[in-house]
Amino acid sequence: MSHGQPSTSNRASAVRAGLSDPATTISFSEAQLGEVRRLQSLYPDARGALLPVLHMAQETFGYISLEAEEYVATLFDLSPAHVHEVVTFYTLYFRERPGRHVVAVCHNLSCHLAGAPGIIAHLKDKLGIDPGATTEDGRVTFLTVECLCACEAAPMAQVDDRYELNLTPEKIDRLLEGLR
Amino acid sequence: MAEIVLMRNFSHPDSHTLNAYRANGGYAAWDKAREMEPAAITEAVKKANLRGLGGAGFPTGMKWSFIPKTHTGPVYLVVNADEGEPGTFKDRYLLERDPHALIEGMLIAARAIRCTLGFVYIRGEYVQPWRRFSAAVQEAYDAGLLGRGFDVIVHRGAGAYICGEETGLLSSLEGKKGWPKIKPPFPAIKGAFGQPTIVNNVETLCCVPPIITRGAEWFAGLGTKTQGGTRMYSVSGRVKKPAVYEASVSITLRRLIETAGGVSGTGRLKAVVPGGGSAAILTADEIDVAMDVDGLKAAGSMIGSAGVVVMDESVSIPEALMVLARFYAHESCGQCTPCRESTGWIYKMVHRIVDGRGHKEDLDTILDVAKRGAGTTICAFYDGAVGPYISYIEKFRSEFEALIPHA
Amino acid sequence: MPKLTVNGKGVEVPAGTNLIEAARTVGVEVPHYCYHPGLSIAGQCRLCMVDIEKTPRPSIACNTVAADGMVVQTETERVRETRKSMMEFHLINHPLDCPVCDQAGECWLQIYYMKHGLYDPRMKDEKVHKPKAVPLGPHVILDAERCILCSRCVRFCDEITHTGELGIFERGDHSEIGLFPGRELDNKYSANVVDICPVGALTDRDFRFQVRVWYLDTAKSICPGCARGCNIEVHVNRRRPHHAEGRRVARLKPRFNAEVNKWWLCDAGRYGFGFVDAAERLLMPARRQGGTSTEATWDEAIAAVAGALRRLTPDQMGIIASPKMSNEDLFALRRLIDLCGVRHVAGQVPPRVPGDEDDFLIRADKNPNSRGAELLGLGGDARTVIEAAGRRRLKLLWIFGHDLLASALPEPDVLEALRVVDTVVFTGSNANWTSAHSHWVLPAAAWVEREGTYTSFEGRVQRFRQAIEPLGQSLAEWEIVTRILAPLGEAPSATRAEHWFRQLAASVPAFAGLSYQLIGDSGRPLAEAART
Repeated sequence: MSHGQPSTSNRASAVRAGLSDPATTISFSEAQLGEVRRLQSLYPDARGALLPVLHMAQETFGYISLEAEEYVATLFDLSPAHVHEVVTFYTLYFRERPGRHVVAVCHNLSCHLAGAPGIIAHLKDKLGIDPGATTEDGRVTFLTVECLCACEAAPMAQVDDRYELNLTPEKIDRLLEGLR
Repeated sequence: MAEIVLMRNFSHPDSHTLNAYRANGGYAAWDKAREMEPAAITEAVKKANLRGLGGAGFPTGMKWSFIPKTHTGPVYLVVNADEGEPGTFKDRYLLERDPHALIEGMLIAARAIRCTLGFVYIRGEYVQPWRRFSAAVQEAYDAGLLGRGFDVIVHRGAGAYICGEETGLLSSLEGKKGWPKIKPPFPAIKGAFGQPTIVNNVETLCCVPPIITRGAEWFAGLGTKTQGGTRMYSVSGRVKKPAVYEASVSITLRRLIETAGGVSGTGRLKAVVPGGGSAAILTADEIDVAMDVDGLKAAGSMIGSAGVVVMDESVSIPEALMVLARFYAHESCGQCTPCRESTGWIYKMVHRIVDGRGHKEDLDTILDVAKRGAGTTICAFYDGAVGPYISYIEKFRSEFEALIPHA
Repeated sequence: MPKLTVNGKGVEVPAGTNLIEAARTVGVEVPHYCYHPGLSIAGQCRLCMVDIEKTPRPSIACNTVAADGMVVQTETERVRETRKSMMEFHLINHPLDCPVCDQAGECWLQIYYMKHGLYDPRMKDEKVHKPKAVPLGPHVILDAERCILCSRCVRFCDEITHTGELGIFERGDHSEIGLFPGRELDNKYSANVVDICPVGALTDRDFRFQVRVWYLDTAKSICPGCARGCNIEVHVNRRRPHHAEGRRVARLKPRFNAEVNKWWLCDAGRYGFGFVDAAERLLMPARRQGGTSTEATWDEAIAAVAGALRRLTPDQMGIIASPKMSNEDLFALRRLIDLCGVRHVAGQVPPRVPGDEDDFLIRADKNPNSRGAELLGLGGDARTVIEAAGRRRLKLLWIFGHDLLASALPEPDVLEALRVVDTVVFTGSNANWTSAHSHWVLPAAAWVEREGTYTSFEGRVQRFRQAIEPLGQSLAEWEIVTRILAPLGEAPSATRAEHWFRQLAASVPAFAGLSYQLIGDSGRPLAEAART
């Protein structure tokens, strides 16, 4: 997912610039490698920096491919299986290239009570896809997610790195308009 | 409503900045605490009857005192900002609106436990709170509050509810899957990176500066006999004014719902989740209960993270349970067999019932499976799932039976 | 040393002992899946619950250290109920495909269900589906649906081989064991994960579908694959020969020995038994004349070899013994050498390619008894004997097992030696280039077909037992030598390997005081002075 530093638009432009083209070799820049070393030195054990570096990898390569996992494993002197364990455990690491925008609708209790099923149905209808899928034009990945802890403004969703609160079908329509 | 302690700065438009925080008396507690003996700080927190506000309600001062006195190596302070309990959103407010209160609380706690390195584990989805808090940490470094004997690393999670469990959080901090660790050893003996570690919730640590400045007796006096202070109640669901409300821990659930504008929807209360998704549900006639740790324990539920989800008469309890059962099946880390296997199975059963394809023995099976698995796992996640499984069915059985053909 | 009671029986155990091991010492088995004494504590399966006095609810025995005064009960009503529940949880998503599962008969789900489960299944919903019949590497195949996620295999690869190939991916009931996509489980100890897998998730590709385990017979043995002397069990199929097309040795399994290999065995050793049932086995004594080989009787063969030994002078005889022979074989041969005064004697034939070695079990010396051969003066380099043969001094050259033409010895020298010596005798279990160039071939039984002892590189004397009958007319080397000693005037006093061992212990100081009884199942070190 695009949650993270420094901004989604940077990531999107990186994708467009082909920096994460599968044919491109997976590797960080010298500056990024310096950042990896800095992060590793922050923690009592370098492995503590694995989650942050995976976030960096996702920012840089658009998602975390198997090649990226192997690459990160070499940076940490870990077996790729152990990096794969981590990547497959957490929901925010994308293992396939997501759309340019990610719309993640909370379907937990408070949002459910506030009409999340209707919001989800509306999005299915508007995007023509089920949760978990990406629109054919690569514009939007649509997800349902567990509690994002903004229940006071249910129903809500995370759109890229922003929380969009008190959703209605009309608000969804406006939001989708803004996602290019 | 009682005195506003934790949300005292929220109304200031720049409450997240160091200037605003200082202007409101911020870091005075740290100035005072740095002159205190570490043991005296812990003693004050004990006397204040501060209990953990993340979920377990463990006495904070006592937790701090578990760090072995003979230990000579590093000690870590880890802040649990992996807020994720369904119905809870208070820590998000603190991170965004009063990040320096947390930093100040960390400084004081670190002195109490003789710790030089702290971590703040913020859930990955909290991008804005993470930015806000990181900026505040930078301010604190620039002002020389941090970096002089105490450093703070802000760590982002990556999407896993189980990392809110304190040892799951530590595994994740160490760069692993968020699998909770077997105890013993407990974190205070062997925690993050194998060193003694104290894990405290955001809100818990935000209580510490006021305790130091205004005194343990004052803080204790705000609450009940066994729990001091106020706390932030996240109120959502079918209420007219869903929001975070600060109140004395002695407030009753009835009063809290009234404070939140009363029941919306049909206006008639059916049930309330008093302490986040994992708390046993209370019926409409069980809401005259004090919202502190012991009050809810006595009522057969738990205060947990104080996430209150209100359900009016139109809410389908089986559907609500299905939503939570899906959550537990999705978030079970998969480590312990009972939790891994039965969260998925129970979700399938509840889902089937809601779909009108239930069998008449399903309800008893769910209850039996839940009871058999309770208390058998490494962490409290499964016990948290069992709370709703059992209470929703036992208290609203006829509603489930109505959905089951030939029941 | 804490003293505690388990089911009312008092027991004193070393500090740090957990309750599973403490219970074991008084014969109480606490059922468990994830716990393995050779691996770190995981505490995941939750099966090993026991009741401890003054503890509000059952605790896992694997992660509870025995303490002084502890009162442990393993059979209380609530412990039994908890076990039953844990069995149900383990089996909710299990495919229950025992009839087609290779683990059937040695599966801990079956065993514990019968002992501790016996509930009526309640799961009616669709089970979680996962990958099936996935080859993980050359030796191991995975059925992820049968896996109970005990993580033993993962911990083995992390903690024992430090190779980290395996992981548990995803979470919740979708968690599954696996490799990083595209990688293989191909470390030198990979098949140990099959041994420690308590269920049918990881099975042995070589053994799979050969024979049902309940038809197997077992014998305690020693791996002959290198100088380490790993303790093993030989599992043989004598009862259903049609199940595996005549293959008698079904598999080798490591056998616990705290001093040698603990629970483990390398893959090279585990799968090194193929020669036993190979087509190249030598089944009958044979004589080669003028390029054609004809079968002979043992009487003819023995008369021929004994005749040569009697006829020739010490300087005309050469013997190349083998460090693959047992102590008994070598001692019998030593007796013969001394009796005839054979002057050109050796035992070591340098391998063409140096053996691999690691800092765990695998030794570069691929012979099980080099130490024994050295102690009996049969450890010398075969080069000297071949040179003597090349100088046309030898009339008789007796080679045990070695394929001189597949060694580091210069091939022209070997060919010349085999050409010029009048009588080349080969004793071994399998045909090779050397046997094909010999005038007499005396077939030897394979190690699983007889008994004996090996001395490991650490100086540990260990017994191996007979698991199956010798193939054809093959005989143990000590027996062949004994039969040849008779016409040479030494009355045959040995009818069992043990008889030779007694004489060995009585006459070679390094073996002083040892006996089969003393060596037992787990071996004994040589006399102190001879150990290193």
